Amino acid sequence: MRLTCPSCGSRGLEEFTYRGDASVRRPAADGSEQAWVDYVYLRDNPCGRHQELWYHGAGCRSWLVVTRDTRTHEVFDVRNARDVILTERQTDAGEGEAS
Amino acid sequence: MADPLFPVLPVPHGPVRWGAMTCAQSPLAEIVSLGAFSGVGRDELVKRIHEAFGVILPDQPRAVASADGGCSFLWSGPSQWLAVAEEGAGLLSRLREVCGDVCALTSQSDSRSIMKLSGPGVREAMSRLVPIDLHPTVFGKDHVASTLAGHIPVIMWQTDDAPTYLFFVFRSFAASLFHDVSVALSGFSSSEMDICV
Ligand SMILES: [Zn+2]
Repeated sequence: MRLTCPSCGSRGLEEFTYRGDASVRRPAADGSEQAWVDYVYLRDNPCGRHQELWYHGAGCRSWLVVTRDTRTHEVFDVRNARDVILTERQTDAGEGEAS
Repeated sequence: MADPLFPVLPVPHGPVRWGAMTCAQSPLAEIVSLGAFSGVGRDELVKRIHEAFGVILPDQPRAVASADGGCSFLWSGPSQWLAVAEEGAGLLSRLREVCGDVCALTSQSDSRSIMKLSGPGVREAMSRLVPIDLHPTVFGKDHVASTLAGHIPVIMWQTDDAPTYLFFVFRSFAASLFHDVSVALSGFSSSEMDICV
């Protein structure tokens, strides 16, 4: 399996570390107990398209969000985790203002 | 009785040759890492370095030389670079004046040693060692890569079209890298290593 790092280009798996589901988000500090249990312990095991975190430790040391099919290992998208979260925050802020 | 330990240089002092290929330890260099602070740090850093050194910091894995040729800047990650100059150049203090308030500056001079590989066939030999494509249409002069040589993290810089490669390796891994380089090179040369470790 190879991943195309946005900074470094196409690199082999040995340069990366898998760090789990990229779609989980930390609940609010006063969130329900169930929300925190879900966040800390519960993970889906999807068959198909999955967003996951990878760390390019042997390369540029960036955190990446990889969209991958767990059945075929087809990689649809690799983006910098920082860009993903910044975009998300901007969208949230935009929606907050609109409502 | 315990075996006595003798201090031994991890890497041979002089250049080592396999056929026409040479592996030599580069002279000590001053190395400083630059990590731009978040916010306006990155743009301000690029601007300051441009004003002081006459060069634009690369935003992809490349190396660039300052206008006076006195130092080079290597991309080493998003908003991170390595500045490299000859020993005694006073690089850290100069950078501190130029951009010490917009980026984290850390001396890496004692953390890395630099191994230089040159000679015909060295591209093919190094293709055995690093998992990246070294074909000249992909990896050329002044291209830089952070990658693994064998299992050892390195920053690799092709400095000319010959090609010549510089490997920046953590100093404590220099002996292991030298061993791996020896194996890779000796597979491409009919002659025995001229100097034994
Ligand atoms: Zn990378």
